[in-house]
Amino acid sequence: MHWIALQPQPEAQPPDGLAGLADVWSALGWWALQFTPRVARLDDAVLLEVSASERLWGGRARLRHLLLESSQAPALIQHAEGATSLIAKARLLPGLSHTPAPELPLTALAAASPHLATLAALGCTRWGQLRALPRAGVARRFGAPLLQALDQACGQGPDRYPWLLLPEVFEASLELAAQVETAPALLFGARRLLEQLQLWLQLRQRAVLALVLCWTMDARRDTATQGELLLRCAEPTLDTVHLQRLLAEHLARITLPAPALSLQLRTVETLPRGGHTASLLPEAQRPGDSLHQLLERLGARLGPAQLLQLQPQADHRPERMQRWQTVSNATVLIANEASTARAGALNHSQDQALYPSWLLATPQRLAVRQGCPHYPDRLTLLAGPQRLEAGWWDAEPSALRDYYVARSSVSGLLWVYRERLDQPQADAGLAPRWYLHGVFG
Amino acid sequence: MQPSLPQTLAALGDAVWSADTLGGAPGATLASGYAALDAVLPGAGWPLDALSELLQPPGFHAEWRLLLPALVRLQQASPGALVLVGPPHVPFGPALQAQGLAVQRLLWLQVSEPQARLWATEQALRCAGVLAVLAWLPQVRAEQLRRLQLAAQTHGKPLFALRPAQAQAESSPAVLRLLLAPSPDRPAVQTQTQAQVQVQVQGADALCLHVLKRRGPPLLQPLLLPVRQGRLSAWLALGAKAVEGGGHALDRLTAAA
Repeated sequence: MHWIALQPQPEAQPPDGLAGLADVWSALGWWALQFTPRVARLDDAVLLEVSASERLWGGRARLRHLLLESSQAPALIQHAEGATSLIAKARLLPGLSHTPAPELPLTALAAASPHLATLAALGCTRWGQLRALPRAGVARRFGAPLLQALDQACGQGPDRYPWLLLPEVFEASLELAAQVETAPALLFGARRLLEQLQLWLQLRQRAVLALVLCWTMDARRDTATQGELLLRCAEPTLDTVHLQRLLAEHLARITLPAPALSLQLRTVETLPRGGHTASLLPEAQRPGDSLHQLLERLGARLGPAQLLQLQPQADHRPERMQRWQTVSNATVLIANEASTARAGALNHSQDQALYPSWLLATPQRLAVRQGCPHYPDRLTLLAGPQRLEAGWWDAEPSALRDYYVARSSVSGLLWVYRERLDQPQADAGLAPRWYLHGVFG
Repeated sequence: MQPSLPQTLAALGDAVWSADTLGGAPGATLASGYAALDAVLPGAGWPLDALSELLQPPGFHAEWRLLLPALVRLQQASPGALVLVGPPHVPFGPALQAQGLAVQRLLWLQVSEPQARLWATEQALRCAGVLAVLAWLPQVRAEQLRRLQLAAQTHGKPLFALRPAQAQAESSPAVLRLLLAPSPDRPAVQTQTQAQVQVQVQGADALCLHVLKRRGPPLLQPLLLPVRQGRLSAWLALGAKAVEGGGHALDRLTAAA
């Protein structure tokens, strides 16, 4: 067993990185959980039992180096080590860091504090001297707790604590240092909460799917005092940089009715973190965000309705052969050739090579002079007609069209159609109308 | 004795580029699918990690026929989405699919504000799941393009910026700038004989391509590129006869096929 005791220094009271946790000890405890699962708080110190995880960190010296120098501790700390928790804690006192256990003063043993005067009168000031006294007499005179504490301190009793556990649901709040007037400025506070969230996710081996950011606003304004923002991801993520970007996009659209005073971050849905398969080959790992992250970020700023993906449809009318619908499934977008070739085979026919690559969202009416369509000057009809008669089963007027490939001196090849007239219209003497429907791009 | 100038240059190798030869592209390139075009492009193809600019006069579109062969090959080589930022019309899936493009892998970003277009383009370039980006940027300044060029270079993604032809006088950080235009006009169809009509129809649809900027000496003559696939050309030739003779083009096509 090897114990490390950490104690925040008194001047480090406003802890820096893990701000917003209830106090500096829990902040320190959360941070220490990275190094070992056995972390406990005893009075004003945080105790770590590291014998089981030393190997993981590459030895005791390396772990000590990590704890004290490399990683960013949430507060300025004092540190001491020992074979039992109480020795480590006692050595936190100034000047005792390498004192052997029997030489430690009884003032450093919490259980002895009610009896210090009596013990001093007995000439007993060190742990070793107290241990030299007969056990039965000590138990009778000072009670069993002192004897138990002494046994524990000397490694003869069990060294057990209620270990520090992380909560099931992450919930942290932060009092803002100054009133925040605009929603995007809340991000600075939220960033600190996200740092904590990342730690929580790492330690609990979970990935977040949805979280809520709440803020309390100044009650003196006659407006709502609470506001909240629900953030949902398409796939569970551990990446707080991505979450931070998403949060920034969403906050940019919010206006605060009153200045915000405090922030709170809470997870709504988390999932156990799935391990992912790493590739053996270095080139298989391409740097950059995943497509999910891209879609989420684009959707947050542009609106999800602006991200479109093609869905082929079975219809003869060109405008209904495809539907551009909101992206629902990013995996389709990155799918490899084999699967898409299969999916694409549904709507495949040779004639489609004759369709234009651009379609106008709504057909554009063309000016007709001397019976010829103009766009902007006279169009030369190169090929056609290709006759279309469809949609008579629909409520809207059926499509009766003759499609032509036309050449314009300005725009290259165009796809135009002449609307065929049905019998009553023809009888009424209406002239056929021409429309531009596509561009051969 | 001092070495002669050619010897010195030879010793320096690739570090010195002499301005009268076509520069080798520093990054990877992708063959455009048109031999005549590859011959004038540095590295014999589209740059794969840089910004290429295609300038087109208003109302004229040739982007798909110029880029499709390369995009199809790119899609076949690796998985990923092809991102279209603010295209001017609706991309017609069946036509693109018939030319080999996997249309399910197209991602259309419907953005109109110039700032949003730039932002979306840059975001797309950063994403590992994106193959290439086609961005229609009607209003963009040189420094904004520089930013996109840097993003394309950093993340190794081909970016094709489609811009209006008026922009040809502006400076641009793109490594390749092409001006696309319809081929110059010919006399009207009616005055030609039958044989001439066919030639004229196929020639009329060629693409006139000016290389405004490349890593190499300027190309003085525009390149006349027949960039229409064979079937449509054949159909056009038959169709021209049909319009002339008043018959039905589709009937003849089936007879010919």
